[in-house]
Amino acid sequence: MPLESQRGTRWPEPLASRVSADAGVEQIADTILTVWREIEEALSPIIGHRGVAALFNRSVKLVSATHPWLAGCLGDALEAVDPTALKAALLQQPAADAAAGGAALFQSFHDLLASLVGAPLTNRLLRCVWAPSTGATPAQDLSP
Amino acid sequence: MSTKATINRLATRVPGLDDVLGGGLPEFSFNLIAGQPGCGKTTLAHQIMFALATPERRAIYFTVLGEPPLKMLRYQQQFDFFDNEAIGRSVRFVSLSEDAMAGDLERVLARIVEEVTTHSPGLIFVDSFRSVVFASEHAGSPKISLQLFVQQLGMLMTTWQATTFLIGEYFDETDANPVFTVADGLIWLRQSVQRNSMVRKIEIMKMRGQPSLPGLHTFRIDDSGVRVFAPAQFVAAGTAAPAVAALDERALTGVPALDEMLCGGLPRGYSLLVAGPSGSGKSVLAASFLAEGARRGETGVVAAFEQHPNRSRNPQLADLIARGRVGLIDSREPDLSIDEIVLLILTEVRRLGATRVVLDSLSGFELALAPTFRTDFRESLLGLVTALTRAGLTVLMTSELEDRYTDLRFSPYGAAFLTDAIIVQRYIEVDSRLQRVMAVVKMRASAHSNALRLYDIRDDGIHMGEMLVDQEGLLGGRPTRKSSSGQPPPAAVPDSA
Repeated sequence: MPLESQRGTRWPEPLASRVSADAGVEQIADTILTVWREIEEALSPIIGHRGVAALFNRSVKLVSATHPWLAGCLGDALEAVDPTALKAALLQQPAADAAAGGAALFQSFHDLLASLVGAPLTNRLLRCVWAPSTGATPAQDLSP
Repeated sequence: MSTKATINRLATRVPGLDDVLGGGLPEFSFNLIAGQPGCGKTTLAHQIMFALATPERRAIYFTVLGEPPLKMLRYQQQFDFFDNEAIGRSVRFVSLSEDAMAGDLERVLARIVEEVTTHSPGLIFVDSFRSVVFASEHAGSPKISLQLFVQQLGMLMTTWQATTFLIGEYFDETDANPVFTVADGLIWLRQSVQRNSMVRKIEIMKMRGQPSLPGLHTFRIDDSGVRVFAPAQFVAAGTAAPAVAALDERALTGVPALDEMLCGGLPRGYSLLVAGPSGSGKSVLAASFLAEGARRGETGVVAAFEQHPNRSRNPQLADLIARGRVGLIDSREPDLSIDEIVLLILTEVRRLGATRVVLDSLSGFELALAPTFRTDFRESLLGLVTALTRAGLTVLMTSELEDRYTDLRFSPYGAAFLTDAIIVQRYIEVDSRLQRVMAVVKMRASAHSNALRLYDIRDDGIHMGEMLVDQEGLLGGRPTRKSSSGQPPPAAVPDSA
């Protein structure tokens, strides 16, 4: 199947299972940063920190078209997005907007990776981040 | 009781590679896969990894510099062997690019050791190893030398009971490099470019402890990954000869009068060249040869190297193909090698249990070959004919022959000596008509008729006619009526050519 046709696959966004509907913006921002770090942990051994940073930056750039307030935390091309800047940007938004922005960001990240390596491999690599409640081991955990 | 250490050989499952390696990859060996950029090193490494990695024998693939891991995953997953499910279960990718970029070989080695100690893989790949060298050179004076690095890595991996592959761009084998000395196995991939054609070749320059097949072997990369073509004669040796005892001693051609001229048909395991000008009925005879086999319960294979794939085929042959009595090799792959063609034919022969093979025609076959093999076409043809007849097959080849009435030629390739038997077809002019004549020119170690006989081609095939005993100068194309018409008896002479 061509990679392009796999784009836009709807994934259960990783925030829904972690934050309740009435969560405050502080909790939402913390959860977004936790997911952010988990993605970094899952992917950086495979594609390197700079590889992950480049994907994050591209995702922020894409999502800032619909959530312009995210544009402020865009890093340099090869440098990781500063988590402090991201958190600061999130805290300035109403809880619903912060959650929507975070969800859009992760969806964009997922779609971007899927456009490059295909949805099945993306799902495989990010399984531990997207579905933590299933108790799945990290994609690359080979420990006996 | 043997006191020698037992070396297990791992089957790479890369088609043809295990044959060329001499029976698979020695377990715990330290191997180098080298070659120019784009020659298929990473693909070969991935294919071997996905074939060998299991949850019990896990693999770690270290990416150093060069191809970014994201791109590598993007392109490698296009191959059939790439298995998403294996990632995490039996295959682990580790990027060392940031350590390598710092140019610190000691740090790179430490990271490898750390991963290997933690995960105890049975297979280790370092891609690309060359970039480790470049990185260390750029960084000025490395803390440890490359030689020391390689020796330490080699020793560590062997004692860790891991089969290791270093993948690197090396432009020529004279490139003095300590890796070459330390490695147990050296697999070199090359691309030979001539005019618009490109042929991939693999060479096992070294494989400790086992006899690999020497020389350059062609390979192809397609959706299924790498396919190596072991030498034709090696492949043929592995093909069980047809149960000759169950067959008649000679293969009949389906033209009874011609079989009489051959003194009972073509001996089994012989190669026959049918040479003649365009339209003389070579392919008709070839179809008849296969149809006669089918009538007697045999199967056959026809390798058609046609320039016009849509041109309608001989209806008799088309019917045999449709009924599964004849297998068709109709490769449109560009730049074929002899070894690949032999493999295609023998694979089909094995599938059908075939006894008869037709190559129609040598001219098309020559054009299908990559230019690099055309320069030694006779050697290639000899390899092909030997491989097929050694496998016990009876082979009929057609060769287009420009009618020249000043000399008697049998093949534009000087291929006549390669074959056991030759039938030549020619046009002659008699009474303002273009007639066809046919003769058996050669049959090794067997008697045959020396008659030059007229023949017709009708809807149901070839019909042999009489000799033109009252004419002379037939081979000059314009025979003349003899002044006295004596009737020489048809003769059968032994031919020891």
